[in-house]
Amino acid sequence: MSENTHNHSSKNGEHGTVVSYLIGFMLSLFLTVIPYYIVVNKVVTGNKLLVTILGFAFVQMLVQIFFFLHLGRGPKPLYNVLFFVATVGLIVVAVGGSIFIMNNLYRNMSPYDVTLKLSENEGIAQVGNIKTGACQGLNKNHKVVIKTGKVTPVLTEAHLCDTLTFINEDGQEILLVFGPKSYGGEFDKRVNKVKPMSITLNELGTYSFTDSKDPSVSGFFVVTEHK
Amino acid sequence: MKEFLIGKLSFDALPHDTYMLGASESFILFGIIIFGYVTYKKRWKWLWNEWLTSVDPKKIGIMYFIVGGLMLIRGGVDAIMLWLQQALSSGASHGYLSADHYQQIFTAHGNIMVFFVAMALIFGLINYFVPLQIGARDLASPFLNTLGFWLFIAGVVMVNMFFFLGGEYAATGWLAVAPLSGKEFSPGVGVDYWMWSLQISGIGTTLGAINFIMTILKMRAKGMSLWKMPPFAWGSLLSMIMAVTVFPLLTMTLFLVFFDRYFGTHFFTTTEGGNAMMYTNLIWMWGHPEVYILILPAFGVFSEIVSTFSGRPIASYKSNVVGMIGVATLALSVWLHHFFTMGANANVNAFFGIMTVLIAIPTSVLVFNWIATLRRGRIRLKTPMLWFLGFASIFAVGGITGVMLAVPPVDFQLHNSLFLVAHFHSTVIGGVLFGIFAGLSYWFPKIAGFRLNEKIGRYAVWCWIVGFFLAFTPLYILGLMGATRRLDHYEASTGWQPFFIVSLIGSLVIAAGVALQIIQIIASFIEKKKLMDTTGDPWDGRSLEWSVASPAPAYNFAIIPEVHSREAFWEMKKLAPKAPHYEDIHMPKNTATGIYISLFAFLMGFGFVWEINWLAVVSILAMIVCFVRKGFNEDSEYTIKAEDVEKAERAHADKMKALVHTKQLRNDGEDDMGLIEFIKLVATWAFSLLRRKK
Amino acid sequence: MTENLVHKHAEHEEQSNDRLMFGFWVYLMTDLLMFGVLFAVYAVLHNNNVGGPSDKELFKLPLALTGTLLLLTSSFTCGLGMIGARKGSVKQVLSWFSVTFLLGLAFLGLELFEFTQLIHEGHTMSANAFLSSFFVLVGTHGLHIISGLLWLLVILIYVVKRGLTPSMVRKLGYLSLFWHFLDVVWIFIFTVVYLKAFV
Repeated sequence: MSENTHNHSSKNGEHGTVVSYLIGFMLSLFLTVIPYYIVVNKVVTGNKLLVTILGFAFVQMLVQIFFFLHLGRGPKPLYNVLFFVATVGLIVVAVGGSIFIMNNLYRNMSPYDVTLKLSENEGIAQVGNIKTGACQGLNKNHKVVIKTGKVTPVLTEAHLCDTLTFINEDGQEILLVFGPKSYGGEFDKRVNKVKPMSITLNELGTYSFTDSKDPSVSGFFVVTEHK
Repeated sequence: MKEFLIGKLSFDALPHDTYMLGASESFILFGIIIFGYVTYKKRWKWLWNEWLTSVDPKKIGIMYFIVGGLMLIRGGVDAIMLWLQQALSSGASHGYLSADHYQQIFTAHGNIMVFFVAMALIFGLINYFVPLQIGARDLASPFLNTLGFWLFIAGVVMVNMFFFLGGEYAATGWLAVAPLSGKEFSPGVGVDYWMWSLQISGIGTTLGAINFIMTILKMRAKGMSLWKMPPFAWGSLLSMIMAVTVFPLLTMTLFLVFFDRYFGTHFFTTTEGGNAMMYTNLIWMWGHPEVYILILPAFGVFSEIVSTFSGRPIASYKSNVVGMIGVATLALSVWLHHFFTMGANANVNAFFGIMTVLIAIPTSVLVFNWIATLRRGRIRLKTPMLWFLGFASIFAVGGITGVMLAVPPVDFQLHNSLFLVAHFHSTVIGGVLFGIFAGLSYWFPKIAGFRLNEKIGRYAVWCWIVGFFLAFTPLYILGLMGATRRLDHYEASTGWQPFFIVSLIGSLVIAAGVALQIIQIIASFIEKKKLMDTTGDPWDGRSLEWSVASPAPAYNFAIIPEVHSREAFWEMKKLAPKAPHYEDIHMPKNTATGIYISLFAFLMGFGFVWEINWLAVVSILAMIVCFVRKGFNEDSEYTIKAEDVEKAERAHADKMKALVHTKQLRNDGEDDMGLIEFIKLVATWAFSLLRRKK
Repeated sequence: MTENLVHKHAEHEEQSNDRLMFGFWVYLMTDLLMFGVLFAVYAVLHNNNVGGPSDKELFKLPLALTGTLLLLTSSFTCGLGMIGARKGSVKQVLSWFSVTFLLGLAFLGLELFEFTQLIHEGHTMSANAFLSSFFVLVGTHGLHIISGLLWLLVILIYVVKRGLTPSMVRKLGYLSLFWHFLDVVWIFIFTVVYLKAFV
């Protein structure tokens, strides 16, 4: 019995104290509740949110590994740490690699209904005998000219599948930001004097575009169905 | 009620076609002979106490060798059946096997060779020789060792069970690609047998790998840092680290196949959102590292052999080890090269193609190391070195064709062709199998106490090398001509038949080689007394395993040596021997728990295969009970007193001294029994039996 | 002389324990890899609900949070129990590990409640790939929890019967390693399955 305590007291660095467990517990509580709060209240959204919560999970894992599992403490923990790092590395390769490969295969080898949807999003009108519902051929083209801080015309009314071309007559390149949300998956587009920029109007609704540097330079376009 | 009791079992499951009947009857006959012999000699208790419940890694190693060897014959018979079918089945003739049967045979051939021959023999070598090389007496957990072995046996029984009940094996190829392996397309029990035999033995492998890692990292002799370990120990360590990282992937993937078949989930099905390509992805994530798990110990064996038979240390130890580490690391990031053609785009294929090609670099570091070692050495061409020469030529071809296949555009032409088949057989036979044969002939004196017959051994090696090239070169050519793998019939207009016939002849030469190996072993036993290894060091070795008596005593080392250099034994030979100071030795007790747990594991698998749910559940509970009882059993060691150790060492030394005076055959094998002499001996013995009858 | 033998024996024991603890850690890494496969499968298949309800529609975040907090607390009390074990206090071991057991049981109860509700509504594991991967991932974790609870029960019974021997302390050590590990895996399940559904 006394020999037992003799052995363990010399290795006390390897095992926990009440304080260390308490710190680990408190930290883990915070690292659990905070991402929950962020998700429920949508403080951030989209991919940024995913990265955030994964980051919190990763940090909490490290907290628990250090405070609860005592990895990294003590005189010679090298092999344990090595194996843990190797395992985490392999999981990243396996999970990440799988997602990389399977996503790629999803785009190239997807089931037929998914292929139609993907093609429609990319503006391909027909797959095999089936029409995707994407825009077919060129329809009317609308022009918007931006010159010396003025947008002409300010409001463009267009139909689905028309094209909208932005022409920049100023020397400076401008970054046009779409609002209230991205258009066709794009948040913003660059327009410079040399090359006008066109977008295909394949989404319905009212959208705005604004020069990111000068909010007074802005306009609207409304996309409606064909009659 | 009947369905509850025996699930889907019925009289229909019993064998009723010629092949099944023939096979099951052969097994039963074999079993009766063995069973009868042991009973006649009244050796059941001895067998149970000395061998079956043993936790001695040397005994477990020998058992792995025996079972692996038997399974090699089983897999080889499968191969000859395939060869015969391909040679015959051209144009109007459809050979003698139905397509479905042919498919089951190549599936079984692949599974048996990889899991129950290669893994088994490699595990045997590691079990026997890693503790000896690192100066340990046993593995870190003797119980896990015996458990791993018996789980492997449960897998062996499971993979052969279909002969007796079920009549069909998986007809899906050795990795049973989805969705063919799903319930919809393979409704019979074949794929279930496939799955459970791999699952149970796979778990045994994982446990064994954990055990070996614990042992190598924590039980080396004093002074033996990792950088002083022999190359075989390094190869084994890296192999087992890879095993412990990738076998869990196999375990879980097999469970997912099981869930799809048993619970109707939709992981790999064609409907309801399943993704069969994910199966291919996961299974090759395991499958590729698996072949490197097999080859790394073989590389280690060859490093040992080249060094010993050149009479000098390995040219560059550090690059040898770093090369093996490089192979092990890269092997975990190349798996997509098995499915370049599945549809990923150029970026994905290019990445994995480049990673695959890179593996050639560390591998060639190893090859150049061996060449450099040979260059400045005094080479002795004993049988192990002949195996090395065979390896060098065949594996080089395999490696180069592998680099060819690693280029995606080339692979689009050659994927799943006979070129691929020839490639992986070159690497697995030339690399893994030759490595195992080389290791066994190198270390045989340590295992048995006498060396193998050199003369007949040489004939065997040449048969294997010539036979291999005769058998597989036509396959390379056929692959380039467009022949796909797994074909049970082809049109006469392809002009392929002559190639298949040459290949068949090659396979018969290989079979002759196997026969010669068996004769070699028998001849060695006959001449045993004259081939005795009296010193424990028949080859003038350099590593610790040669410092103990042959065969190695139960406790390996009477005194654990202290190591100061990379060539621990070589250094010991130069120094004056110290007066030995014996101490008490703690040895682990035998245990039957491994046998019981594996028995219940087999019954659980069997229950799931035939949907006898109560059997599966009861077996799981029984396994838990066994584990708990073993876990709380405190009495697992016994002690050999110091004076008994001393007595045993002296007794062996005296016995060897006495033998030295009897006529020993020359170590170079010139006076060994030749083949003709052996045949004469057997004929004389057979005649004498007949005369006695009269 | 006998003192030397006793010391040698203790050293032998300690070396053996060190090895086996390391081996158990390696086993935990293999378990982590198996969960890795399940996470990879979930990542690939979680959108394949084939017209049925999606993850956002089926998961209840407050329930998941409660479960997470229960498991986290049990991991904490498990740690306190280990401190008691190393001190040699049977009372602390029994009290803290009983709390751990009850918290684990409560976690399990919540999970079973969630599962039965889903199954009752017809969302079984054989309905579509998303549900298959959800049930198998979370269910495998649940099976591990059940094993851990049973294991803990058996050890506690032996502690009552045989007292807190060094061997029992070691076994509690393995169990607590296992239990902490399960909580670490749950962090990722909570994040990747439940939180991600609402991203």
